[in-house]
Amino acid sequence: MGGFSAWLRRQRLAVGTSLLILIAAYVFYFVNQAVATSMFSNAWFFAVPLVLGALTGVVGERSGVVNIGIEGQMLTAAFAAFFTAAATKSLVTGVAAGILAGVAMGAFLAWTTVTARMDQIIAGVVINIIATGITSFFYKSGAQLPANMPQWNLPLLSSIPLIGDTFFHTGPIALFALLVVPVLHFALFRTRWGLRTRAIGEYPSAADTAGINVNRMRFVNVVLAGILAGAAGTYLSMEATSSFGRGITAGRGFLALAIMIFGAWRPLRVVTAAMFFGFANALASQLQGVVHTPQQFITLLPYVLTLVVLAAAAGRVRAPAAEGVPFVKGEGS
Amino acid sequence: MRNPTPPPTLRETVSGAEAPTPSPPVVAERGAPAPPRGVLGLLVREQSILVPLIALVAAFLVGALLIRSQGVNPTYAYKSLFSYALFGGSGLTATLQKMVPLVLCGLAVTIPLRVGLLNIGGQGQFMVGAIGAAAAAYALRSAPGVLTIVVTMVIGVLAGSMWASIAGLLKATRGVHEVISTIMLNSIASGLIDWLLNGPLADREVPYPASHAVADSAQLPPFGFVPIGLPIALVLAVATAWVLRRTTLGFRFETVGRNKHAAAYAGISIRATTVLAMGIAGACAGLSGAIELFEVDPYRYQDGIAGNLGFDGITIALLARGNPLGTIPAALLVAAMRAGAPHLGFDTGLRPEIVDMLLAITLLFVSLPLVARLIFRRHTAKGNELASSWGA
Amino acid sequence: MRSTFIIAAPLCVLAVGLAGCGGTTGSAGSGTTAGADCSSSKVFCVGLVTDGSKIDDKSFNQAAWGGVQKAKDSFDAQVKYIETTDAKDYAANIKQFTDQKFDVIVTVGFLMADPTAAAAAQHPDTKFIGVDQSIDTEKVKSTNLTGLTFPADQAGYAVGYLAGLLTKTHKIGAINGLEIPPVEKYFKGYEAGAQAANPKVKVVGVYHPAGGQPFNDPVWGAGEAKKQLAQGVDIIFGIGSNTGNGALNEVAKTSGAGTTLFCIGVDVDQWGTVPEAHPCLVTSAEKLISDGVGELLSQANNGTMKGGNFIGKTGISSLHDFDSKIPADVKTKVDVVVKKLADGSLQTKVEL
Repeated sequence: MGGFSAWLRRQRLAVGTSLLILIAAYVFYFVNQAVATSMFSNAWFFAVPLVLGALTGVVGERSGVVNIGIEGQMLTAAFAAFFTAAATKSLVTGVAAGILAGVAMGAFLAWTTVTARMDQIIAGVVINIIATGITSFFYKSGAQLPANMPQWNLPLLSSIPLIGDTFFHTGPIALFALLVVPVLHFALFRTRWGLRTRAIGEYPSAADTAGINVNRMRFVNVVLAGILAGAAGTYLSMEATSSFGRGITAGRGFLALAIMIFGAWRPLRVVTAAMFFGFANALASQLQGVVHTPQQFITLLPYVLTLVVLAAAAGRVRAPAAEGVPFVKGEGS
Repeated sequence: MRNPTPPPTLRETVSGAEAPTPSPPVVAERGAPAPPRGVLGLLVREQSILVPLIALVAAFLVGALLIRSQGVNPTYAYKSLFSYALFGGSGLTATLQKMVPLVLCGLAVTIPLRVGLLNIGGQGQFMVGAIGAAAAAYALRSAPGVLTIVVTMVIGVLAGSMWASIAGLLKATRGVHEVISTIMLNSIASGLIDWLLNGPLADREVPYPASHAVADSAQLPPFGFVPIGLPIALVLAVATAWVLRRTTLGFRFETVGRNKHAAAYAGISIRATTVLAMGIAGACAGLSGAIELFEVDPYRYQDGIAGNLGFDGITIALLARGNPLGTIPAALLVAAMRAGAPHLGFDTGLRPEIVDMLLAITLLFVSLPLVARLIFRRHTAKGNELASSWGA
Repeated sequence: MRSTFIIAAPLCVLAVGLAGCGGTTGSAGSGTTAGADCSSSKVFCVGLVTDGSKIDDKSFNQAAWGGVQKAKDSFDAQVKYIETTDAKDYAANIKQFTDQKFDVIVTVGFLMADPTAAAAAQHPDTKFIGVDQSIDTEKVKSTNLTGLTFPADQAGYAVGYLAGLLTKTHKIGAINGLEIPPVEKYFKGYEAGAQAANPKVKVVGVYHPAGGQPFNDPVWGAGEAKKQLAQGVDIIFGIGSNTGNGALNEVAKTSGAGTTLFCIGVDVDQWGTVPEAHPCLVTSAEKLISDGVGELLSQANNGTMKGGNFIGKTGISSLHDFDSKIPADVKTKVDVVVKKLADGSLQTKVEL
């Protein structure tokens, strides 16, 4: 048990905060079950694309590639998923197309930044602009999904009070998002792949000396991360709603970046941060008409708090050291 | 699991494009071929202008393919777009009117870029500048026009500058990444202004959220077809380029941008430079907002006054490749395309989004170092990159 | 030089090929015509400028365009539209039409009120129809400008009355776009009507926070609808173009849609425009925009269009598949209310 209590001591802030949040949530639940459940569900509903988008950024940045183009990846995926599903009358093909679109954009980012060594920020901006252009230009109205995405009630898990209704009464992509978090956490911190990924993001020349093909690994990681962005976009146009509108992403890709940084590039903290934003969003609309504070102040709360928290946590949160710089064998880093 | 901090490295963060003129001497590196002479030599030396131009042409050719795919003759389309935007009376006015904020917002991104910062907050800084100007204009509504204009411009500048400095200070003192702080500040500005427009600053006569209109004596419609803000914007762009290249302040900015550690070693305060750079950027964006208020019908702050300007500013800065003088032609191009889009739609039925596509392709080709390398092979100038990363 | 050639050659070929090749030199697709000369008195040209939404937004702009196209069919008008992308372009877009001497220009949305009035003053020979624009006849004297407005509160009242009668949980909701008068009128009418039908009813409404496309955020609409449903609401009125559509969609997806849960559309009969909502869409609160625009256009065509305000009609759409499912007495009561609103004997008493 020595190892566990040592771990507990190290993580006391995280464990303590999580416990506090859980307790507060359940108190709320016992006070007013319907409102509490609906708010937490709404929070998760809002958080799903943010979590997926932020994790896309995490994988990329941990490998050393800055990805500002998450918004564009999500938008293209939403577009591809919806119109493919409508055209082929198959939900599965639609989802596949959406994920593929995310991967394709990821491959484009990887090629321009890792192979062609273009500036990563510019590449991201370009992806966003291209995505807006393509999806607006080729948009046709009147398409319709063949059916709605299934909504599942997971057998035992969905009966857990509060948590069950929030997370386990869900569609496939939301469930995927939920599962990706612990899987990615494990992968990043407990597998060889994760160690290598972090190595190429922190100290690529050392990783290179150790025999890791830095650029190939960066390329592959960014492409794989595209799966997550593709899932995020697909969620927007197929699971959250059953429609595609121009600009459906509405800045979620950028918010995902903020959540990624808020979450210190760690999957578990990312999901907490996303839920925080989601909950504040739910709170703002819930209090409309009830409390006479201008609703804008409530909607602004998570943004202001993000700044406060970031300012307070300064120095303890650090980006992967070698991100943003293309790796050239032989040039030190 | 704690990550061990890697030893500090003298990593270069190149953050500025090379100057346009006079051309930098092409120094032969060890093992590199001798620089060519004659016409080819001229081309190689001026590649910082040529590469974007060629990229532009290539992009427009690809765009032509796209237009053709919609069943429209590309030459006709381009003629329709640009002849209206650049030669028609009202079209030219629209183009120049759109150009003003684009230059200023482009500067708002370019200046921090030289110091290695990415300012995504142009949108919020513009809005804060505009609303500050609107509030001041209303307070001064009975004052003589000239006084109103001067005072409110100053207030707009200060407001925008202050808003950006928040991000600058957070970065300098607490290390908060400017990308995330500016994104947050954009949303905060949006929300605060929405409250102001529905509350303290609202003009109740108008059925939608809007501030009071600027007094008639203070309105500044275009002079002929030249908007009053245009000379201001042009002068600022030139002045910025001059300051960056010829003054101590500019030297400090450049040094911090190229190598933070060397700059610190030389005694330059990174923190002060960061705050100053963001402050100046915010001032540009804020000025842009104030000018927009006075220049453009309906002379009041309403939703949509900022449009997409903040993000277009990023596009402009990237098209200009980090060069303040480059923001002028870049802004002219973008403004012309956006001003001409309705006419293009009217003439050909093409959706206005075609302009977004053209811009995207242009930006892509302009930024791809591949283009430079394909053309100039071994004579490609180094340092064709701009800022990268969140900044360490 | 080889590398230069590799680039230059394909580019040159492409350039030459594209310069000469085909493609139309006039309007392409999008159902627009108007190649003809509009200044001729024999040709009747109608132009439409959208307010920032798209022409196919499944409600407002689409309905107005529908009215214009009716004109095209009934008296052979030449028609064209311009989609505004930037709010600062309104005047310039209107000018595209006045430059070409169009006969009638329809501008959609109250945000265009000022530029439309200005253009009307400058071009007294052109007729202007402002949809959802209320003309202040004290200040604006142009006889070539007609503001087409709709008593949205009446339509809201009617559907609210229906909702009040139908609800079993005595809790109904509305998902709104931006908090502006056209939306508020619908919502307050909805509240008034529901309370008139069912004094015990509780009406929950939520407005989209500004910034970020309040009328084009279906994901937000869906999330809010989900939240309201989880809090016991059983009828949801979607007021807000695409944002409202997201809410309608969400209700349609929830189990119980059509039996215990219902949704109500807005502006047009959304049975046709949002087929995904069929499972729950009992009716829609309609502004008869197409009819209003069509009516005014034929007036313009005969020269009988007067300036000032023109009050269009509102109504509620057919119950479609729910006709047999709604009890007959409910239907009768609602019909009575609709009639009384139309002839003025019943007032909604909605103040903004």
